[in-house]
Amino acid sequence: MYTRTTMYKNQRIILYILILISGAAWIALSAEKTGATPSRNMPAPQAGFAAPDFTLKTPTGETYKLSELRGQALLVNLWATWCPPCRAEMPALEKMYEEYKDQGFVVLAVNMTYQDDPFAVVPFTQEYSLTFPILLEETGDVAAAYQLRSLPSSFFIGRDGIISEVIIGGPMSEALLRTRIEEILK
Amino acid sequence: MLLIFAAAWIGLSLAEKRAERSAISKDNINNIIFYGLITFVIGGRISFILQNIPAFIKSSLGIISINPDMFDPLGAVTAAIIVMLVYGQRRGLLFWHTLDALTPFFAILTIGLGLSHLAAGTAFGKETKLVWGINLWNATRHPTQIYETLASFLTFSLLWFKRHDPRSGMLFLTFAALTAGSQLFIQAFRGDNTLILNDLRQEQVIAFAALAFIFILIEYRLKEKP
Repeated sequence: MYTRTTMYKNQRIILYILILISGAAWIALSAEKTGATPSRNMPAPQAGFAAPDFTLKTPTGETYKLSELRGQALLVNLWATWCPPCRAEMPALEKMYEEYKDQGFVVLAVNMTYQDDPFAVVPFTQEYSLTFPILLEETGDVAAAYQLRSLPSSFFIGRDGIISEVIIGGPMSEALLRTRIEEILK
Repeated sequence: MLLIFAAAWIGLSLAEKRAERSAISKDNINNIIFYGLITFVIGGRISFILQNIPAFIKSSLGIISINPDMFDPLGAVTAAIIVMLVYGQRRGLLFWHTLDALTPFFAILTIGLGLSHLAAGTAFGKETKLVWGINLWNATRHPTQIYETLASFLTFSLLWFKRHDPRSGMLFLTFAALTAGSQLFIQAFRGDNTLILNDLRQEQVIAFAALAFIFILIEYRLKEKP
């Protein structure tokens, strides 16, 4: 014989089962049929998206196109000579570049030339003995594409061209750089 | 981050009020949250270090670096839960009563988390043509951050009406069930899920498992005396 409490319990259990069946159906209905996270094919300056492409020149006139570096692990670092944390993290960037470049790691240090002193860039790279490519952003287009909010901003990009991590602000420590670089080198 | 801190502060005030009803002193609630937050911060860094020991052996000064990105959220939460449990046990706090007292804190924190996602543009939705879509990351997307904030607010409102429930643990378990249920629903609109078994959203599967477990706990609590 059912007591009132038993009935309540049975009603609750039926409710749980109904909720769980609905939940399972919702999971199946909302499954991503493409088998891939939707953001991967769209360029945007956020982890999980394809890195927005750009073509920029170095002070010596050499041209770098981001998409042509596909297959390598990239760090796109947006910086300016007047920015103290940008200056502070340069030695660590250089050290990591020297240590990992043979494994396919490339640093693209994009100077925000449109809001910097263009004549200060080369002396700056000499002062810090930087050997990775320094690119000049003279129009603000790359800053807009990467929705620059603060300097420095660093974008760790995997070999597949997908942004793995975005770090706004700095300076980044060697340990942080090491963990992120080893992640994108995988 | 500021939104989360503000939410934590409001949540703490509400938890203090709730604590009186659960016969737990304000000091104990303040302390358990304080120790939890401190352990959250330190535990997150320690867990990150433990997962990246070779990097820190080569650059040991990084251990004390102020980079907030060297942080493991899962490790942080685990460490905070352990310390809160140990504190509660040492002080002789009743487990379910304490969880009930902390529920307003958790509920307000989830509202703050949704707002912080909205401010940072993280936890973003997939593309949509719906009129309420928001322009984010170069596309019109489901405003999943707003969905989760509204769901958290709704959860908090429902808990408010349930706040006089005399059965210990039910307030917390209701919060947990509503949160897991809303995540199960909302995650379908996210654009950044991790996929498992080729096409299922991992976050939904976790929410589903959590919901089933919470139902078992609710039945277990209803069998017990208040």
